Amino acid sequence: MGKYRIFLFTVPALLVLGTFFLYPIALSLRLSFTDFTGVGIPNDVGWKNYERIFTRSRYLDALGVTLLFTLIVVTVQTAIGLFFAALLHRLPAVRNLCRAALFLPAMMSFVIVGYVWQFIYSPFEGGLNSLFAALGLASWQHNWIGDPDTALFALAFAHVWMFVGYSTAIFLAGYAAIPQELDEAARLEGTSGWQRFRHIEVPLLASSFTINIVLSTIGTLKTFELPFIMTRGGPDGATRTLSLHIIDSLFGDYRFGFASALSMVMLILVVVVALVQNRVLRAREERAR
Amino acid sequence: MHRPPHRPSLPVVARTATATLLLTTGLAQAATLEVTAWKGNEAEPAALPELIERFEAAHPDITIDFSYISRSDTDIVLPPRLQGGDAPDVMMADMPLVDIWSQAGLLAPLDKGDWYQRLDPAVRTAVSDGDEVYIMPLEVIGMGNFVNMGLLREAGIDQAPRTVEQLKAACTALSQAGVKPMIFAGGFSAPLFTIANGLEPDPGAAPELGTEQRTFEDDEAFDAALSLIPELAEAGCFDPEVQAGVDPWSTGLAEFKAGNFAMMPQGAWNIRDFSSVDGLDFVFAPIPSANDTGVALDLFGVGWVISSQSENADAARAFVDFFTEPDNLQALLEAESAYSPFTDGASGMAALAAPYDEARAAGASIQFPFGVLHWPKPLESEIFDSLTGYLLDLDQSPAEVLSRWDEIIEDQY
Repeated sequence: MGKYRIFLFTVPALLVLGTFFLYPIALSLRLSFTDFTGVGIPNDVGWKNYERIFTRSRYLDALGVTLLFTLIVVTVQTAIGLFFAALLHRLPAVRNLCRAALFLPAMMSFVIVGYVWQFIYSPFEGGLNSLFAALGLASWQHNWIGDPDTALFALAFAHVWMFVGYSTAIFLAGYAAIPQELDEAARLEGTSGWQRFRHIEVPLLASSFTINIVLSTIGTLKTFELPFIMTRGGPDGATRTLSLHIIDSLFGDYRFGFASALSMVMLILVVVVALVQNRVLRAREERAR
Repeated sequence: MHRPPHRPSLPVVARTATATLLLTTGLAQAATLEVTAWKGNEAEPAALPELIERFEAAHPDITIDFSYISRSDTDIVLPPRLQGGDAPDVMMADMPLVDIWSQAGLLAPLDKGDWYQRLDPAVRTAVSDGDEVYIMPLEVIGMGNFVNMGLLREAGIDQAPRTVEQLKAACTALSQAGVKPMIFAGGFSAPLFTIANGLEPDPGAAPELGTEQRTFEDDEAFDAALSLIPELAEAGCFDPEVQAGVDPWSTGLAEFKAGNFAMMPQGAWNIRDFSSVDGLDFVFAPIPSANDTGVALDLFGVGWVISSQSENADAARAFVDFFTEPDNLQALLEAESAYSPFTDGASGMAALAAPYDEARAAGASIQFPFGVLHWPKPLESEIFDSLTGYLLDLDQSPAEVLSRWDEIIEDQY
């Protein structure tokens, strides 16, 4: 008994984990096999909800939209975040001010950001088209969120604008951990700024890359706010993410059972992507040491 | 010194008993009724604050504890309360909610009193669930074509178009006058036009189309309705690719209010807001169709329901009955620019909706199928999506678009 006593200390944590994380997941799994409408008694429907998900192209399309949106956001946000961090690392006088300014959009409500960008992208004298007109680039004017070819990129840009401050802050924290002696030694060796960035800073920022990529991937895979506010998933499903499908199925269609099945699919997707990413990025960190 | 225990005198006992009896009787009669609605706030008062005040004056023993809960929040807030046995006494609801809540036994059947017999037959059929009725309808709201008459006059037109041919002619004239003719957003305006024209030849087909008994793909009327969209684009009514990206609930409304577009199919609930814009000279007309009258697309919107768990059932019934009285309902209808659901009820529509009124009077009204549960709710978003897709690629055949609607119907069974 004595050697197991130490596990008693884990009981409170296990209780919290079980009550607030595992039980809801188990409940969702159970509901995913029913036709629950949000009230009343659910009826079992077997695998019907899952069969619908994998035999209707609209859900597989939503999966594709979600993955593409995530790929764009994570890649661009990480790259721009690194760019700003590298720049601000070299500009200590304005670092704190710029970091706060970059972080500001992340503190704004999604609703406000969504509506602001909706009007910026508006085809009728929207901010972006008006800017192009003022610059004599009227031929660049476009129906940004009305064209399925550009809508997802337009939303991704707004998303990156909102959260690039996070990435910058994480990379700046990584920069703070790089020993200054390394930079000074490299300078004495006559290396260029690009060489120091490429061969010293980037490898030593490996853990910042891991945190940035994993966090933004998980957050973006689950995103529904900007597509919900700016396009409602349109035009014709071009920005309909899996999360938006879940919201629409829950509130409006009252198909809680089906939404639970979609949630389980998304949970598996997020877990698999996060595990694979984590493994690859951790291995990269090890190599960088 | 030992004192004998105090024994109350008989008059004291009698007085206390009488007071207790009066107090408990009074408490039993007084009731606080919890009422929720997605109207009644500052943005959309629907005359509810003044009606509640009037109700409380007429029923001094009943106090109303009113909470505004938006329509989207209603889906989130009320189901757990209903399921948990803590529902408000009276709730505003629409038919999709009534369908689900009543099937779960969470709503109390209403007495089919005099008000039930006075209901418009179409509304009465819609609200009846077998032998029971769970909702007391409050209003029927029109969905039609907003027409900026100032802009039409610039193009030499002095009447809102009622037929598709008149609409095409108006579009051509407006385009030539340098006026953008129409907002035709795939997310609402285009569906209103398509549904109105698709159902006009046979409004009675709606229930069958909402089941697997009949398919949209094989329906000639809907095929023809969809075929009108390329014709309207050809006539210069709109740029279909631009309209595919217009949000009908923000950009569309803002553009019409700004006087940038001449026409826009939308709901009459916008009349109040549009009327507040200085210089916006508009009318609310029926949706142009093949017939001379156009189509008045009526939406049976909202009503009151009573929770089956209400401990104040009598007070709740009194509250619901209060709204069946024409004088009381009229205040709500006027605030909402809506029609009464009763055959003997008046209209709250403004004078600028005279063209729509005329279409209704001519018998050209059709019930919006989602409001009366003829079509399942998930079909609505698919119609919005598929028509947006159609605007982006008008080379698609109507059958391709309509088959997507059938797939959603199939998913319901």
